[in-house]
Amino acid sequence: MQKSLAKHFPLFVAPTLIAFLISFLIPFVMGVYLSFTEFTTVVDAKWVGIDNYVKAFTANTDFINALWFTVKFAVVSVVSINFFAFITAVILTRGIRGTNFFRTVFFMPNLIGGIVLGYIWQIIINGYLYKYQVTLTYDAKYGFWGLVILMNWQLIGYMMVIYIAGIQNIPNDLIDAAKVDGAGPLQIIRHIIIPSVMPAITICLFLTLTNSFRLFDQNLALTNGAPARKTAMLALDIYNTFYGRNNWEGVGQAKAVIFFVLVATIAYLQLKLTRSKEVEG
Amino acid sequence: MAYSRQKIFNVIMFFIMSILSVVFLAPLFIVLMNSFKGNLFIADAPFVFPSKETFVSFNNYLNGLSKTGFIKSFGWSLFITVFSVLVIIIGTSMTAWYITRIKNKLTKFLYYLFAFSMIVPFQMVMFPMSKMANILNLDNPVGIIVIYLGFGAGLSVFTFSGFIKSIPADIEESALLDGCKPLQTFFMVVFPILKPTAISVAILNAMWIWNDYLLPYLVIGSKYRTIPIAIQYLKGGYGSIDMGAMMAMLVLAIVPIVIFYLVCQKYIIKGVIEGAVKF
Amino acid sequence: MKKILAFVLIATLAFPMAACATSSGTMEIYFLNFKPEIAEVYDKIAADYEKETGVKVRVVTAASGTYETTLKSEIAKKDAPTIFQINGPVGFQEWKDYCADLKNTKLYSYLSDKSLAITEGDGVYGIPYVVEGYGIIYNNAIMEKYFALSDKAVNISSAEEIRNFETLKAVVEDMTAKKDVLGIEGVFASTSLNQGEQWRWQTHLANLPFYYEFKENKNYDNTVLAGLAANEIEFKYANNFKNIFDLYIENSCTPKNLLGSKSVNDSMAEFALGKVAMVQNGNWAWSQIAGTEGNVVKAEDIKFLPIYIGMPGEENQGLCIGTENYFAINSKVSKENQEASIAFLEWLFSSEKGKSYVKNELGFIAPFNTFEENEKPTDPLAKEVLAWMEKDGVTSVAWTFAAFPSEEFKNYFGDALLEYTQGSKTWDDVVNVVKDSWKSEKAK
Repeated sequence: MQKSLAKHFPLFVAPTLIAFLISFLIPFVMGVYLSFTEFTTVVDAKWVGIDNYVKAFTANTDFINALWFTVKFAVVSVVSINFFAFITAVILTRGIRGTNFFRTVFFMPNLIGGIVLGYIWQIIINGYLYKYQVTLTYDAKYGFWGLVILMNWQLIGYMMVIYIAGIQNIPNDLIDAAKVDGAGPLQIIRHIIIPSVMPAITICLFLTLTNSFRLFDQNLALTNGAPARKTAMLALDIYNTFYGRNNWEGVGQAKAVIFFVLVATIAYLQLKLTRSKEVEG
Repeated sequence: MAYSRQKIFNVIMFFIMSILSVVFLAPLFIVLMNSFKGNLFIADAPFVFPSKETFVSFNNYLNGLSKTGFIKSFGWSLFITVFSVLVIIIGTSMTAWYITRIKNKLTKFLYYLFAFSMIVPFQMVMFPMSKMANILNLDNPVGIIVIYLGFGAGLSVFTFSGFIKSIPADIEESALLDGCKPLQTFFMVVFPILKPTAISVAILNAMWIWNDYLLPYLVIGSKYRTIPIAIQYLKGGYGSIDMGAMMAMLVLAIVPIVIFYLVCQKYIIKGVIEGAVKF
Repeated sequence: MKKILAFVLIATLAFPMAACATSSGTMEIYFLNFKPEIAEVYDKIAADYEKETGVKVRVVTAASGTYETTLKSEIAKKDAPTIFQINGPVGFQEWKDYCADLKNTKLYSYLSDKSLAITEGDGVYGIPYVVEGYGIIYNNAIMEKYFALSDKAVNISSAEEIRNFETLKAVVEDMTAKKDVLGIEGVFASTSLNQGEQWRWQTHLANLPFYYEFKENKNYDNTVLAGLAANEIEFKYANNFKNIFDLYIENSCTPKNLLGSKSVNDSMAEFALGKVAMVQNGNWAWSQIAGTEGNVVKAEDIKFLPIYIGMPGEENQGLCIGTENYFAINSKVSKENQEASIAFLEWLFSSEKGKSYVKNELGFIAPFNTFEENEKPTDPLAKEVLAWMEKDGVTSVAWTFAAFPSEEFKNYFGDALLEYTQGSKTWDDVVNVVKDSWKSEKAK
């Protein structure tokens, strides 16, 4: 095969590769380079070493606040989403009536775009808070929990579907054998179901973790950082740094590099951790 | 004994799930309900059903449509999504086949590169990428398809590769030995087998592109508005757009995707599972 | 399934075909508009101009509060805006690399007061296109109802007799107590503090204390120059600001904690629907009032009050008059496009058709000598602004906020005001934020 196919690289790979280069690879390398410069349009970049990185942390507390907010948000969301998704998946694999309908309903929010989602929940939350004569902007806590609720609503169905597939893949003999041995439902869950669906857990954790960290659209729509940028997550803070003011592009790019390293590291660690716990067969 | 315990459990679960379903659907229903209320009666009391006083029938829809050019936005969203997905499916499947079958240092490197790109947050590349798009004249609805191909390549190539790895190469090899050209072999032998994965990849990409805000905003935002951009513009506070029109436009933004979902549900769910399993 | 797919494909292919067919011509004027209130009028103007001259004008309006962001990303593109706006000397410093020299244009020669333009050296880079005024807009019908009450707590008998803060406060607080009798939900409209909607406070209202602070600097004969030279501020009249701000938020139709979700649009609607008696805003807001569905305010009842903050001698203080809207031509686009853009603006402010738009639909008080006396706008707010400008013994407050160090400064100020309103910051905190951010933004 090598001989006849190999020389067709240009036909099979080139188009995708060129698009990939243009929209991802070259901008990525440029991004890293630019993070060490001060620039407005790309061609006027002046080297400033790690100045931008220092400025990101010291010029104001926006970046650090965004960092903490994002970490807290990610932790809470990842735990809650996976918890609810897993439980729902267990329930919906018992063959109760209407399983298909429930699955349809729970998954549906996932299809709706971030901006639209943000505004839907803004109206609902503000409507609810109106009873207490406050709005979302009153306290950063409201924005935080608003985002958590929104994220849960959007992703529980998605993760649930993956967990269902994982659970359905468990051979029945295993469960039957355990039942014969006298194991109760909770024990079955702990010792049989969870280890067997580890691959599903891996992927669900990965997806919820990376999605939570990189959240932008919903953040922009729900709170836009109010009050006073306290509910701005990392992606929004970086966007504001770039486009919200002049002469901070270099800092924005530096923040983006830090953001990337953070996400990549966390994803890598998480994958490594859960992969090692996966049970084969 | 165990049988009836099971039955009671099932009935309880059914009730709980039903209530949860109502809770899950409530937000969509609330938006729908408010789209029929007059502008001033929404923000302060979104949970109230339209009354004789507050009901405005389809005014909000007509008002919103005429003021926001929503129909145009719908057209652009549709055009960009459909063609980007087509281009991605064809381009990335071909690439995946090549780099999976031809094993050398370059293809291995490319595979990891594509996988790597899935983790990089958009903010990392957004500024240089929008500049590149502008310089290369890609900042229009046709050019943006190239951008989406580049961005969608990561996940798609990765998924296709995963699937192709599990297909034995014998049929392809015999086809090639028989004198079939690689392109023929790909479309007549490989692609048909790939169809289920292709559908999954198509759906995942379609969902992402249809709902994407920041990328099209930066690349084509001032000239062409897709649906997410149009919605964001509404909230930005144009002199005369009001909550009523906003609600109506939100409904219109949701309806197409819900219809799409109900029609293709099976494939969508399958796509989600496949995308996850092949990881 | 296949048939549906084919149909969808064909339908979506037809789209760009249609779009490509309508775009034509190499010369295009791209105007990035700052004022959302009149966005639709510009669309009409563009259509008329194209009919008359065949030149296409593309008008894009930035959403409220996003002008800088939008301009930033648009100006970096190949087809960048050819006409854009700068807000004064500070804005000019940010965008000077993109501002073309306009000193030899007819447009510049039309300016009745050349000193209003933004200059550097002997070049002219920004031309103001509208003189505006703001103050407290009030509905005289409601005011007359109040003054007719037999148990009113003040001695005066008309709104025109309110000439200082003490009186204003007394009237407002009494009206609040009697709001049910007057049939209103509050005296002031909502103090909108939503993101992007805070400019009435962090810019317009803030203008007053800083105007007075910089006036005391005798080294400069105008407050903007004094402000530009100040690396630090005392915020001497912070308490005066607090007094009027508190008056706004404590006597409004909306409880304080809900103000974070209110927009300027909401406030104007509240005024137009007769729910409140007063709203702070400028003459550009006329179209918002007139355009509100169910508007009950009559043109002859709409008047302006100066914003009194309790300064000695404020009986002679007038409205805040000035301009923040300067046209700039993008020096980086082709000569052809620059000239076409200038020609368009000249048409707008000197041709019969253009001037009629300016007077009747845009509602601009244009500072150009091409306008006759009878070609000034006739909407009630514009007429009030002109009346106050010409009143004997009254000095208008110059727009000093042109000297504010940056947009970020205003944002910090506005954010602090929101937190103060919601009770999570004290007034002293706000004062510190204002002083610190002035200093740090100036240092950049």
